[in-house]
Amino acid sequence: MPGRVIKWPESVIKWIDQRFPLTSFVKHELTGYPTPRNLSYWWNFGFLAGFVLMLQVATGIFLAMHYKADVAHSFDAVQHIMRDVNYGWLLRYMHATGASAFFFVIFVHMARTLYYGSYRAPRELLWWTGQALLLLLMATAFMGYLLPWGQMSFWGATVITNLFRATPFIGDQVVVWLRGDYAVGDATLTRFFALHYLFPFIIIGAVVVHLVALHTVKSSNPSGIDLAHKDNIPFHPYFTIKDLYGLGLFLIVYSVFVFFMPDSLIEPANNIPADPMQTPGHIVPEWYFLPFYAILRSVPSMVGGVVAMGLSVMMFAFMPFLDRSRIPGGAHFRPVYRAQFYLFITDMLVLGYVGYVPPTSSTLLVGQWATLCYFGSFFLVPFISKAEEGWLMRRGLPAEIAALIESEAIAIEKRKLRHRRRKEDRA
Amino acid sequence: MKAWLQAAVLCCFSAQAWAADMALEKIEVSTELVAIERGVDAMMNDCHSCHSMKYIKYRDLAGLGIGKQKLDAWRGDQPVDAPLLAQIAENDAVQAYGKAPPDLSLMVQARDGGADYVYSYLVGYYVTPEGMPGNHVYPATRMPDVLGIAGATAQRGEIQGRARDIVSFLSWAADPHQAERIRLGYYVIAYLLVLTTLLYAVKRQIWARLNRVE
Repeated sequence: MPGRVIKWPESVIKWIDQRFPLTSFVKHELTGYPTPRNLSYWWNFGFLAGFVLMLQVATGIFLAMHYKADVAHSFDAVQHIMRDVNYGWLLRYMHATGASAFFFVIFVHMARTLYYGSYRAPRELLWWTGQALLLLLMATAFMGYLLPWGQMSFWGATVITNLFRATPFIGDQVVVWLRGDYAVGDATLTRFFALHYLFPFIIIGAVVVHLVALHTVKSSNPSGIDLAHKDNIPFHPYFTIKDLYGLGLFLIVYSVFVFFMPDSLIEPANNIPADPMQTPGHIVPEWYFLPFYAILRSVPSMVGGVVAMGLSVMMFAFMPFLDRSRIPGGAHFRPVYRAQFYLFITDMLVLGYVGYVPPTSSTLLVGQWATLCYFGSFFLVPFISKAEEGWLMRRGLPAEIAALIESEAIAIEKRKLRHRRRKEDRA
Repeated sequence: MKAWLQAAVLCCFSAQAWAADMALEKIEVSTELVAIERGVDAMMNDCHSCHSMKYIKYRDLAGLGIGKQKLDAWRGDQPVDAPLLAQIAENDAVQAYGKAPPDLSLMVQARDGGADYVYSYLVGYYVTPEGMPGNHVYPATRMPDVLGIAGATAQRGEIQGRARDIVSFLSWAADPHQAERIRLGYYVIAYLLVLTTLLYAVKRQIWARLNRVE
């Protein structure tokens, strides 16, 4: 009965559709979701971030089955996973490499947003939910790093929790509250393990919010202009296959790290069990925290350093207000902003280097200049972007772009007029 | 903050300093069973009396391919599942040397420089002008020159070979699944290359539809 075999699932779907918007949801959010056709491969990284998140959750759940959160057993438990559990070494290396991969993908994703100006109206909320996701990711990674209970785990957690002493009035209490003890110890390890298991699910929830915002405003694109209807194509099959191809490329690079150089991302000192009585020669955080750590060390006072470090992560959220240019397309059509973008990336790399090496008077000086450049590049954005806009307009813009800016200006005027009229009516 | 910086700087210059400023001798770690087996022999003779390797069990050595007779002689009446614990009690070691000898299971991964560090350390012993033992790589070491390289002239090459075998064994011990991992890695990468090429072809084909429509 081949005919009935085909009809059978249709009736099931119909049954579901009467009770749950399955077909319309899939059609609206996936198969028919309109996506700009001109997206470059830089737009693959959002999907990759989602994939790495799932990878981390999947490997993490299996690692948790063999792990023990106990200062007397954690280091041994990791070695038990590495040596005795079937393919435990694969799970652990995938998870450890996955953390680095996650940050790499997120940094590229953020750099793309900055380069193309994707944070600008109407995508501010999308950008801010992303900023919240970055903070959650950092917290999760930081707590996960304590779990192997190596020297760097212990001392990294000690240094970072110690920073909360900078909290006004109740600093000492906050540190004890975070650690569950006067020093990083068993209470810290067990709570970090519990939270490290919890946070990914909060992240998944925040990703849903991020995606709802995305599907409301739709993807930005390299041109910076909202495309006409005809230039959008359905997400499936065009972007499902493009994302899958990008995933293949990503997995090749990821596998090179997992199978051939997994230790390149693990500090040697973390293969020594945590010893509260012996400080390692040189405490360094994981590579993805290095630029922010360098900013922390560059400010001579502890409170100032903590504030600067916090600000350095949060500065990205201000970009929608700081960037005052109306030229669409981000750095693509804005030579000065483009130069600023590349200088900023270079500055990040310099800060990363400064954060990695032991502090000497010369690296401290370089770090302080790089910190100034870091914040300077944000503070200068409003002035430079406005000046650049004037310069580009005087030089003459392509007709379509000039018309677009004109129409946007008219729309803003109209909105203001309507607002004023409504006020007058009320009066 | 300042205290932290000072502490960090002090640590860099303290006797605990890592061997960053000392040029390490680069060695090629052997993954061949004969070399690793020579390394196990040397380890059991020269290191095992003081150093434990608690993550390695006698069973693991059997899995590596060490003969049963040798294993039985080493383990005595201990079960095959027993870890390689030091023969000397930790308290006695502390009495004799001032600190507990570290476990060697992860030694190759636990130092900057890895296998090069451990090798350079083992052959880094010398006699100071005052006639005291010294080590170029780790001056604060409490371990005696077990391989006897400081006074050696003719047998220097032989001792270096022994150090290299020990490091080869320690490299295996630090990451026993390394060979399996690398073998599997080639298959995974080959599979991904084929898959990604196919995905690229499909992507080209699907996107070609767009141009046809227009």
